Amino acid sequence: MTRYVMQRILGMLAVMFTVVTIVFIIVRVAPGDPAAVMLGPDATAADIAGLRSRLGLDQSLSTQYVLFLGQMLRGDLGQSIFLNMPVLSALAERAEPTFFLTLFSILIASAIALPVGILSAYRRGSLFDQLATTFAMFAASIPSFWLGLILIQVFAVRYGWMPASGYGGPDASFLERLRHLVLPALALGIVSSALITRFTRASMLDVLNDDYVRTARSKGMGEWGVVMKHAFKNALIPVLTVVGLTAALLISGAVVTETVFSLPGIGNLVVSAVLRRDYPVIQGALLVIAALYVLINFLIDMLYLAIDPRVRY
Amino acid sequence: MLQKLARIGAAALAVAVAGAPALAQQKGGAINVATIGEPNTLDPMVAAGDLLGMITQHFYETLYTFDRNWALTPLLAETLPQISDGGKVYTIPLRQGVTFHNGKAMTAQDVVASLKRWTELASRGKLVADNIAAIEATDEKTVKITLKAPFAPLTALLAFNNSAAVIMPADKMENPIKEVIGTGPYQLKERKPDQYIQLTRFDGYKQRQGEPDGFGGARKQYLDEIRFVPVPDANTRVEGALAGQFDFADLIPVEAYDRLKGQAKTEPVLMQGFGWPMFIMNNKQGMMTSKDMRKAVQTALNAEDMLAAAFGKPEFYKLDGAMYPEGYAWRSDAGIKAYNQGDADKAKALAKTAKYDGAPIRILTSRQYEFHYKMAQVAAEYLKAAGVKVDLQVVDWATLVQRRAEPALWDIFITHSPFLAEPALIAPLPDSYPGWWASEAKNKLLSALNAESDEKKRVAIFADLQKLIFDEAPFYKVGDFAALSAKAPRLAGYTASPWPYFWNASLKP
Repeated sequence: MTRYVMQRILGMLAVMFTVVTIVFIIVRVAPGDPAAVMLGPDATAADIAGLRSRLGLDQSLSTQYVLFLGQMLRGDLGQSIFLNMPVLSALAERAEPTFFLTLFSILIASAIALPVGILSAYRRGSLFDQLATTFAMFAASIPSFWLGLILIQVFAVRYGWMPASGYGGPDASFLERLRHLVLPALALGIVSSALITRFTRASMLDVLNDDYVRTARSKGMGEWGVVMKHAFKNALIPVLTVVGLTAALLISGAVVTETVFSLPGIGNLVVSAVLRRDYPVIQGALLVIAALYVLINFLIDMLYLAIDPRVRY
Repeated sequence: MLQKLARIGAAALAVAVAGAPALAQQKGGAINVATIGEPNTLDPMVAAGDLLGMITQHFYETLYTFDRNWALTPLLAETLPQISDGGKVYTIPLRQGVTFHNGKAMTAQDVVASLKRWTELASRGKLVADNIAAIEATDEKTVKITLKAPFAPLTALLAFNNSAAVIMPADKMENPIKEVIGTGPYQLKERKPDQYIQLTRFDGYKQRQGEPDGFGGARKQYLDEIRFVPVPDANTRVEGALAGQFDFADLIPVEAYDRLKGQAKTEPVLMQGFGWPMFIMNNKQGMMTSKDMRKAVQTALNAEDMLAAAFGKPEFYKLDGAMYPEGYAWRSDAGIKAYNQGDADKAKALAKTAKYDGAPIRILTSRQYEFHYKMAQVAAEYLKAAGVKVDLQVVDWATLVQRRAEPALWDIFITHSPFLAEPALIAPLPDSYPGWWASEAKNKLLSALNAESDEKKRVAIFADLQKLIFDEAPFYKVGDFAALSAKAPRLAGYTASPWPYFWNASLKP
């Protein structure tokens, strides 16, 4: 067990090193000069060269890479060129909306997907099952930004029940800020529920035909107990994997939804940083996202141990 | 003379406005203004950019600004400068009793230090830096700028709100700036990048006497608070305006115009003559260095179709080749016959004279400004009709800005500009601007324009310069376009402007 965990941690470090290197290369190979973008269209060549020099962008790629690795080892993600603040602070400021958006989206997705998936498998072939499958197909096919725009149209523009965008003004309370997340979380949650519904249904179908389920029924156990205690608990492992991966995807992949709802989250920061050619922020944000992704995967593997006593590493 | 005329016009307008039933504006309230993004700094000296100018003009002020007719008018200066010694000495009397947001009085030393910082850091300041012999305070109320040679655009340069000669306290001039302390009617309370920039009324503000007049005149402080909210996605700005979340939403796609009409919580605001798109030709390297080839492009293009494709309805654009729209003193029709020809046969003949070898012309454009891209598509068809092959290179704006600095990489790139109140500052005129139009005739006219302080003579020189632009075709002005914004009906006292400002604005009860 300890050996397995150590191996996984070493593997995670190797993945992170690869990500660091690839990210460093990609942002610098991409055309577009941060100094020119920052100084605006009227800047002279001398101004741009001066700023490039101050930012260290005039040094060779290998020198920049060594400096960058040194920074990473010290846990320093650098200074944002555009925001003129440490990248870690910029990420920390934007973590709150992204964290709660991910959490709400997963809660909404799970609240839809688990009951629908379970019932759909339990009543396989019924009208409900057909409707659920159609819903899953539909939800998987629609882009979250499109759904987001529709939700804004209906709940913000037409009825005025919810704010259309943003994360609240300077005097917004915590609850008011959370209210701004309802529509984007619905957009992401509904779309994400498709995959989880399908996985839950498939996984439940597998276990519902197993011998131990038949045994439980023959012992006279109630249907609720059979489905939830015996079948669902055993069907949970693949479902949990999908939920975990969806959460990881949402942290990194809510980019478009955050843009549509103008949420100051990590996804939005990445998009802005790319347009501004803010290298340290692109690198820092991608590294943090990669680290979260790797960590969530690791935690899911560890969770298997708790859920399924047959799993031993 | 021209300023006099402008003042007469302004007075007539003021009379007309005064004739309307006066609605008392009330103090109080906060507004949310959706902007197109986040400025990279709050220091309007170190960078240019309309967004930066729009926000910072509320807390930083310049010595001069522009009135509603784009004539120069004093702001922190008491009066217009006294120009002597053949246009080489500018004596600027300062307004007394002006205080900074930190409570300290503005002194002549603050002004001198600010102007020196401007010549060192601002791209507009650097234009004049080499020509400045001295910036000094002659007494506590007066600052004197001595030039080595006459330079008439100086006053206009001092009036712009981006790359701006703003006045800061002499002891708060770090770069990058640490504390935002100006003299404006609003002061910075909090900035959360990518969330909001919160301004509150500056109670110690000393406004000018009289009535508001464009960016000049009195700046009334009705609103308690102004919040600039960055909303880079244009559709989100539209939806936010429709939902009543934003009292003002800046730069909205013209396609949304019909949706904004007849709404309860928002209404469209059209700013005519907002700017002009241009095709910059590479005068330094490649086939566009041939004047005949540039003329071939000029002759081939049909500006009307390009504008229609880019902006849709005629209310959003104006087919006009002159460098300034009607209403500006600089307006002239000199050379305008070369505009909007769309003559494929004549263009073909010119390309032949230029010994065009059939290699594709590389047009560099970006979809970050969708109208650039649409114009490029139409232009490509007209050029093809004239037998000129086109290689349309669509990149993001950051890449375009980088590539256009390399003369080997492009033949034409597309950009746009607002109408600047000083023609000597038109972006593609200097030799160093990408496009590198380094014509001897141009430099002669530009030098004359810069040296001449008589405005009537300057207008005549600029007419010659406009004619030269059509004759040599270093770039192609496609026309004029309007900007669409959205404003809540409850927001009163707002005047459409290329750099929207919200002093003088108030909320209806």
